[in-house]
Amino acid sequence: MTLSPRIQEITSRRLNDLVLPTGGWSSEARSAALNRVQSLGLPSNRDEYWKFTPPETLTTAQVPPASLFVDVDESPVFGNIDRLKLVFVDGVFDAAASDQLALENVTIERLGESKDRDDHWGREVYGVLEQSGQVPVARPLAALNTAFATDGILIHVRGTPSKPINLVYVHSNETSDAILHHVIKVNPGAECTILESGPAAARFNKCMEIDIADGGALHHVRAQGRDHERRAATHMFARVAANALFKSFTLTVNGRLTRNEIFVELLGRNSMAHVAGACVGDGDFHHDDTVFVTHAAEDCKSRQVFKKVLRNGATGVFQGKILVKPDAQKTDGYQISQSLLLDGDSQFLAKPELEIYADDVACSHGSTSGAIDEGELFYLRARGIEQAEATDLLTLAFLNEAVSEIDNEELADEIQSRLAAWLMRHRPS
Amino acid sequence: MTVLEQPQVKEGVDQETVDAVREIGTYKHGWETDIETEYAPKGLTADIVRLISEKNNEPEWMTDWRLQAYERWLQVNEPSWAMVNYPQIDFQDQYYYARPKSMENKPKSLDEVDPKLLATYEKLGIPLKEQMLLAGVETDETSAVENRKVAVDAVFDSVSVGTTFQAELKKAGVIFCSFSEAVQEHPDLVQKYLGSVVPMSDNYYATLNSAVFSDGSFVYVPENVRCPMELSTYFRINAENTGQFERTLIIAAKGAYVSYLEGCTAPQRDTSQLHAAVVEIVAEEDAEVKYSTVQNWYPGDENGIGGIFNFVTKRADCRGDRAKVMWTQVETGSAVTWKYPSCILRGNEAQGEFYSIAITNNYQQADTGTKMVHLGRNTRSRIVSKGISAGQAQNTYRGLVSMHPRAQSSRNYTQCDSLLIGDKCGAHTVPYIEVKNNSSRVEHEATTSKVDEDQLFYCRARGMDEEEAVALVVNGFCKDVLQELPMEFAMEAQQLVAISLEGSVG
Amino acid sequence: MLDIKNLHVDLEEEDKSILKGVDLHVDAGRVHAIMGPNGSGKSTLSYVLAGRDGYTVTQGSVSLRGDDLLSLEPEERAAKGLFLAFQYPVEIPGVGNMTFLRTAVNAQRKARGDSEMSATDFLRMTREKAKQLQIDADMLKRPLNVGFSGGEKKRNEILQMVILEPRLCILDETDSGLDVDAMKLVAEGVNALRDDGRGFLVITHYQRLLDHIKPDVVHIMVDGRIAKSGTSELALEVERNGYADILAETAL
Repeated sequence: MTLSPRIQEITSRRLNDLVLPTGGWSSEARSAALNRVQSLGLPSNRDEYWKFTPPETLTTAQVPPASLFVDVDESPVFGNIDRLKLVFVDGVFDAAASDQLALENVTIERLGESKDRDDHWGREVYGVLEQSGQVPVARPLAALNTAFATDGILIHVRGTPSKPINLVYVHSNETSDAILHHVIKVNPGAECTILESGPAAARFNKCMEIDIADGGALHHVRAQGRDHERRAATHMFARVAANALFKSFTLTVNGRLTRNEIFVELLGRNSMAHVAGACVGDGDFHHDDTVFVTHAAEDCKSRQVFKKVLRNGATGVFQGKILVKPDAQKTDGYQISQSLLLDGDSQFLAKPELEIYADDVACSHGSTSGAIDEGELFYLRARGIEQAEATDLLTLAFLNEAVSEIDNEELADEIQSRLAAWLMRHRPS
Repeated sequence: MTVLEQPQVKEGVDQETVDAVREIGTYKHGWETDIETEYAPKGLTADIVRLISEKNNEPEWMTDWRLQAYERWLQVNEPSWAMVNYPQIDFQDQYYYARPKSMENKPKSLDEVDPKLLATYEKLGIPLKEQMLLAGVETDETSAVENRKVAVDAVFDSVSVGTTFQAELKKAGVIFCSFSEAVQEHPDLVQKYLGSVVPMSDNYYATLNSAVFSDGSFVYVPENVRCPMELSTYFRINAENTGQFERTLIIAAKGAYVSYLEGCTAPQRDTSQLHAAVVEIVAEEDAEVKYSTVQNWYPGDENGIGGIFNFVTKRADCRGDRAKVMWTQVETGSAVTWKYPSCILRGNEAQGEFYSIAITNNYQQADTGTKMVHLGRNTRSRIVSKGISAGQAQNTYRGLVSMHPRAQSSRNYTQCDSLLIGDKCGAHTVPYIEVKNNSSRVEHEATTSKVDEDQLFYCRARGMDEEEAVALVVNGFCKDVLQELPMEFAMEAQQLVAISLEGSVG
Repeated sequence: MLDIKNLHVDLEEEDKSILKGVDLHVDAGRVHAIMGPNGSGKSTLSYVLAGRDGYTVTQGSVSLRGDDLLSLEPEERAAKGLFLAFQYPVEIPGVGNMTFLRTAVNAQRKARGDSEMSATDFLRMTREKAKQLQIDADMLKRPLNVGFSGGEKKRNEILQMVILEPRLCILDETDSGLDVDAMKLVAEGVNALRDDGRGFLVITHYQRLLDHIKPDVVHIMVDGRIAKSGTSELALEVERNGYADILAETAL
């Protein structure tokens, strides 16, 4: 298919300023990815999956500036959790601020560090999962990331480390444009938790490819930074083998534009994927979850739970699909997307899809949008709880279904307390 | 078809279903009427558009409107977003106008109509004599409704053959006639409302229809009149290699009520035929319109050869406060269906409802659903969609629920259920939900599953064969929609459910 | 304690008059029962006292221990000591029963200027009181009223009442949907709270609850008014003869 002149122009203008890193084991994957971007073209609002979210600010050559935000009112997320900390400042790894890249049962290295090793395991994953995620819906920003990523982390999980690995993103420059690409490979039977926190840059394009072998498990919990003006387009590609587990939860508070794409393929029998998200936005806030879960094997289970709380003109978008391939019999697929609109200005746009080619399945989805339930509110107030507190309590209860998807209680409490604090700060005066 | 034993009545089994399943091997209406037909030359040009207009003896404004649509059509592209695949349609390799020779001089009454045409409708079970009732109804002894009258407008290829009960309807103030007649007799009404709900530029097929529509039905129910009988249009495609493009316009003035039924069939042929219709409904303040369709165009054979390509635009504009429109559809026919009967809920407290059963078997593909656009305050909409997919078929529900900022305190409830029979077919759900105020509540639920093995086993343990059991279970699955159909259609629809699934098991 | 004077109330949405001049006085230490046929306005009275939206007071006044009740928000009324045991307790998924109770207790203490109760004290108190009502630990952990049986919901209402120690307790058809054993438990809970400083308004359709909670005064409500008041004898009379006699009397 040939691209329209407009898309060609957008694409070449963006690509002109970028430099393709050369040499090393990833270079083939990078040039293939560049070809993908050039043939797909960058997204425009004409694309079916960009109807609800304007992509323009994510594709310009110039970064729209984003002023820095100092969260004096809160301690850093996951700060009290025993973790291995890896810090990126405006998309560049900061060794001084990070812990040693050493943790038992895990090998951690920077992308590009051992680039001359031709037999590097990263070859089997880097750009491979991203490419497979281009069907049925193109994700040109992810291909762009594979081609031009300037930094990232490669994590090879060989057993079960004692603590989570926390990727901490710091935003320190008002026009930073970070492109990070992480690769995680989980060996058979191994299990690991990855945490992500912080706003990363004025504009952030992130790709994370996750390859989980038989019986492996990966838990992912992220808290996207509180900077009001930052923009982010993130992609997660997960390939899940037999009896393996992939769980991901994302908390988003603030941010001008967030597009979180998740693409999970359940390729082995009896594998499982749970993806969840809770977001709260006030004012100039646009949040988009675009989630595709593909069942390609028998007896797999997937859950998608997404909750959004919006006020003062905030916009929430959910596009989610459960795709069941012809042989994926006995699939159990569930998806729920709900929004709570706290005032009349906010909006919720959703496209929850089912695409099913196998008959022995039980798939369902639900989507609701509305205000706080008056009956519930009255019940709480009749017990003496004042309106603002009662509203917060009900709002937290609404978000709780997503937060409770996090297995680790300590992490769930951490997220819960951040949400409560946000609501408290954002009580209407 | 093999000869079956006399069906035995089993306890708890709907006799109609059993009979239908046993009786029918394949498509029931696949025969053709041997009749002399005159065609406009093949292909589509401005001259063909003028010719169609001329054949209908149309005034200049109508011709101009068509030509404008034709010009527009040349500039737009065929939509590709639906989940349907079909070979490229060669719009120049078909006829856009086909008329039985005997209709050259329009008969003054049904008595003058060619007996072959009348026989066609009789064979289809469509009463064109006013003393007759729709097939099935008269035999239903338990029914308390005797003498339920149904007025019929019978459309054969490109022309209306005749319309019954016109005189009686006229007495009530109701206008019910063919579209071509309306252009002659009520040009002011046609001019006022035509294209006001579905603009000529609405979409590719609606634009095509606007250029070449040949006939259709016209209904006007004046203020505070409750239409004394059900109105219906029966569409029959007979001519080969010919597209049917009909246009229906229904206007319910303030406080009016009308229930309208639509049915359609076509002969069994190896080549596909195009059907692109437009239906526009206007409901003023406190008006209520019920529109029910049983779509049974030829679906193609078990190998996917032939069948109708059905690209239809149907939309209702609830202009006045408390206006109410209800769409009910049973879609069992056509090789490809592309159809989204919609409601624009403009008036405050307006209501829109959409009840749909879509059954696809063999190689059929259906992409169907609705749009509920809430503009007025306190508007309500309800969507119940049941999709059944068997064989190698693909069945998609596609819908939009949109709550605009000023549609305060509105509600929508959507339930989409899909049933899969066999592991070669597909069932898909593509809803769009846009909520732009917080006093409104939108709820969407969808499920996909296969026919419940326990239910099937239970039925078979009571003596039903697999196909009967499936038909029964599927009828149960569709019950929420079937019960919304007018009685005249409910029975036919129930049988169709069974027939359409013929050969889907075992 | 509670003074209702000539209370007229309309239903907001339907513009329909429900209460048409209710006069009622409840003293501390007394139990008043209100009986009456369906649709007489009993539940409306309880909702209006608790401050639910959707009702318009067109005439009259209500004071609770000297405060103008009608000018207060629902939570302010609760802090002043008014408690409504709901006929249909609301299910709130995602809010734990314990979390809810503690939030309510502390909100009321705060409103009264008291310090918050410590987590340990609260836990000890709740467990003890729950035990008396045969509410197990599991019920305390589950989301508020979600999946509770009818009896469990009503016992949970009484537990809240016992913990919040209100001044005026309104029980809106708390006996509906309860079997005899559950009703006894509920009544025991109520009776344990009876003291000189507390008033009760027990709304019920049947006399049987009044076998267990002996009222000091019984009122019969008909068509939005108190049609007749008397001793507990009046409740027995209703039990025997239904409301027909009273209806006939008031029609005169």
